[in-house]
Amino acid sequence: MSEVAIQIRGMNKFYGTFHALKEINLTVQKGDRIVICGPSGSGKSTMIRCVNRLEEHQAGVIEVLGTELNDEVGNIDVIRRDVGMVFQHFNLFPHLTVLDNCTLSPMLSRKVSQAEAEKTAMMYLERVKIPEQAEKFPGELSGGQQQRVAIARALCMKPEILLFDEPTSALDPEMISEVLEVMVELAQDGMTMLCVTHEMGFARQVADRVIFMDKGEIVEEGPPEDFFNSPKEERTRTFLQQILSH
Amino acid sequence: MLKTRKARAWAIQIGFLAIVAFLLISSTLVARDTLHAQGMNSGFGFLDRSTGWDVGFSLIEFSPFDTYGKVIVVGLLNTIFLGIIGIVLANVVGLTIAVFRTSENGALNAIGTLYIEIFRNVPIILQAFFWYAILTHLPRPKDAYNLGEVAFVSARGVYLPGLNVTGSSALIFFIALVLGIFFYIWFTSARRFRSLTPSAKKNGKLTIVGLVLVIAVAALVMGRIPETNLFSIPTLKGLNIREGIRIPPEMSALAVSMAVYGGAYLAEIIRAGFLSVGKGQAEAAEALGLSPWYVFTRVRLPLAFRAILPTLTNQYVWLFKATTLGIAIGFTDFFSVISVSINQSGQTLELIAILMVGFLVMNNTISFVLNRVNKAIKLKGTQLRT
Amino acid sequence: MTALDHAEIRAMGPSLTESLRRRYFSSPGNTAISLVGGALLLWIVWTVLNWAVFKSVWTTPDGTSEVCKGIDGACWAVIHQRGRLIIFGLFPYEEQWRSTLACVAMLITAILSCVPWFWNALRLAMLWVVGFAIFYILMRGGFLGLLSVRPSEWGGLTLTVFIYAAGILVGMPMAIAFALLRRSELPVISGFIAGLIDGVRSLPLITILFAAALIMPFILPGWLQGDKIWRVIFGFGLFFAAYQAEIIRSGIQALPVGQEEAAKALGMSYFHRTTRIILPQAFRNALPPTINQFVITFKETSLVVIVGFFEVLASGNAAYGSGEWSFAYVEVYVFVGLIYYVFVFSLSRYGAYLERRMRVGQH
Repeated sequence: MSEVAIQIRGMNKFYGTFHALKEINLTVQKGDRIVICGPSGSGKSTMIRCVNRLEEHQAGVIEVLGTELNDEVGNIDVIRRDVGMVFQHFNLFPHLTVLDNCTLSPMLSRKVSQAEAEKTAMMYLERVKIPEQAEKFPGELSGGQQQRVAIARALCMKPEILLFDEPTSALDPEMISEVLEVMVELAQDGMTMLCVTHEMGFARQVADRVIFMDKGEIVEEGPPEDFFNSPKEERTRTFLQQILSH
Repeated sequence: MLKTRKARAWAIQIGFLAIVAFLLISSTLVARDTLHAQGMNSGFGFLDRSTGWDVGFSLIEFSPFDTYGKVIVVGLLNTIFLGIIGIVLANVVGLTIAVFRTSENGALNAIGTLYIEIFRNVPIILQAFFWYAILTHLPRPKDAYNLGEVAFVSARGVYLPGLNVTGSSALIFFIALVLGIFFYIWFTSARRFRSLTPSAKKNGKLTIVGLVLVIAVAALVMGRIPETNLFSIPTLKGLNIREGIRIPPEMSALAVSMAVYGGAYLAEIIRAGFLSVGKGQAEAAEALGLSPWYVFTRVRLPLAFRAILPTLTNQYVWLFKATTLGIAIGFTDFFSVISVSINQSGQTLELIAILMVGFLVMNNTISFVLNRVNKAIKLKGTQLRT
Repeated sequence: MTALDHAEIRAMGPSLTESLRRRYFSSPGNTAISLVGGALLLWIVWTVLNWAVFKSVWTTPDGTSEVCKGIDGACWAVIHQRGRLIIFGLFPYEEQWRSTLACVAMLITAILSCVPWFWNALRLAMLWVVGFAIFYILMRGGFLGLLSVRPSEWGGLTLTVFIYAAGILVGMPMAIAFALLRRSELPVISGFIAGLIDGVRSLPLITILFAAALIMPFILPGWLQGDKIWRVIFGFGLFFAAYQAEIIRSGIQALPVGQEEAAKALGMSYFHRTTRIILPQAFRNALPPTINQFVITFKETSLVVIVGFFEVLASGNAAYGSGEWSFAYVEVYVFVGLIYYVFVFSLSRYGAYLERRMRVGQH
């Protein structure tokens, strides 16, 4: 369990003149479960979006599963297949059924046969507890169900790493727990996870490490017990007070 | 070598440019050979040669001894003239039908719908042929419909009373009027003049009106044809109608088809604009005690206009392009002048280049001006549109 | 109003009378408008019926225009006599059954494309290619003892259908390519395509057709020129493509960014992202304006008359143009107008139906 999954060294990102990420350093081992939090606009989403190169960084090094992400990457799609992502707004394909959402990329990109892909898809849909919705269209499901489908869709690619970009922020409160439950189970199965989330309960329960970001920097990093009980930085304390006070 | 994405991007773009360049160069070479084989000279020298043929309708004086350059100008002016008339008429028709269509009265609704369903679903060129056939099957001049001894309607055209002035001076007269109206609207509504004192504003308005009047009257006086009456009233003399201004049936048929067909499209655009104005805004205006007329002119119309201006721009450009139908029924518009010139002079490539550049310039002017207007009147910021 | 009408209205309850009153007679002014408008409508309907049906002559027993002397109504005998010319142009008389069959094949193709089962790119493309091939083979002949008829001898409605179908078949792939290339991240390519699209869009269609008919012979080597009709179809397709590309592009722009990102995050290649995720949704978004564009394009086929093709409008002109039927121009134009009308009206109704259906189906 000491293989490196993600290695980020001295990474910087700019939007025009705006310095979005400053000198980010982060190492993620295989099997690590990391929760990233911070106020909005702190660059946490941008950082994990750099990991599968939905955003391009300008300086520093990002290595994902042993491959450096830079302009010389011949085929970024190959790396993305091993890095799954779950979005805030689910981003399911509305013109495809739930099952087709799950089988499309395995069949096209991994060249899995249809029967095989559907078997895998049903397995993961069962795991997220909505196999009965397989023939429906995303628009017919509730937000929580959609997000679980999105997780299943990412799992169907059999990724080595899963990125979660605020997976519960767009959900109605009563649906948050059903998504978190699935995420907890995944964590217990040993999936390498990077989660941007404000769900501190989830962080306490499953995270190996919690990272706090503000203004494009990693301010503090540590195991959840230390992070929540004895935060070192002033900014972290303020943030925790705000988020835990209600 | 082509490993990085940047390098690949460059390679693709250079390759693309190379293909475009290759196509351009090879077609130029082929064209040169073809022209050479046909023994033709390329270049724009022919524009100075005289045409040897006359045109059916011209706003400025033209004779067969005039040059190709001049005949092209004649065509351009005719196209602009027809375009303006057609678009103005289409707006009148469109606004009327749109009001019918949005009216609460069922009978008006039905008339509006009937109109749109009939005239929008038949090609404009068919309508042009149809109106042209109707107009040229009217009675001959000696049996013309007489409208109070001052206007006649016949198969040779519509005769209206006019002034005995040269075509160019009439043209200057109209341009002065159009520019005057434009500047007047600009001056009264543009932001930058809003801070002027009322008296300065009044002076500005008077200056514009005065200047336009002086130029317009001067143009008419200078262009007056000597030894004729100022007013020219059409009269029936023998088998023909003399004097007055003759609007040839080709011109009328095109103007009518543009008005009828374009009007049907514009009506639907304008209607959509009215529908896009939120009920809330109209209700708010009513709640403030504004009369229905003010609610319409001060709230619904301005808001609808802002909503549809981009679509209107496209439709105006489209209608302006419809002037090219002149060739189908023999109106000497820009396109048909070019077409005849190609037949007569054989300078195909040059003339088509002139044609395309002409339309690119004219249509882009329309969109440029209207886009500027659109930008100027656009609602600032984002607001709830419900 | 008769007693029966009153009874019927009462049977439907007060809401109908109330709504009638509100729509037609809410105020004296409104009542006046309703009465005048209603009278005008009735008058129009009566005049048209009177002219087109009650006082018209439908056939000519001896093939001449004698029957129409001195009548007040329409002389439909001209259609009876010259209808074949309008529909088939100068296609050889004995072979006109082929023309009919070909048109029926196109019609079936068009109707089949309204069936939802065909609504994916592959099936739709296959359907149209097959339909078009049947049309072309039937018309062209030259095998199994069928007389060979060159496209330049085709005419009338059949030619209109041919140019329309061919133009769209050529134009649609171009439109998709233009839309994608204009969105390219490479500035040279997107800039060039943008210039091309905007240029074509600000030129009148006739000038494009004209250039296709007249310029291409100058700049293409002989072996590439082909028949004039193919060049004109290419020009026609290009014009369609410039407009359709913008429609598709706006359909793509209406998609949430997340769609493309999700596809990227799943590791799908550009080709798969485009063909499986972006384009299917973009087309769905763009369906109403696309159908509108189909309608406009059908009407615009009539412009090929200007570059010298004998399509339905030109054959209509010819049908009354010669001597004895020259008085019957209104009848001929009404007939040709009706042909366009039937097609355009049904297509736009279908478009409106789809739009409603989509709005209902939206979640």
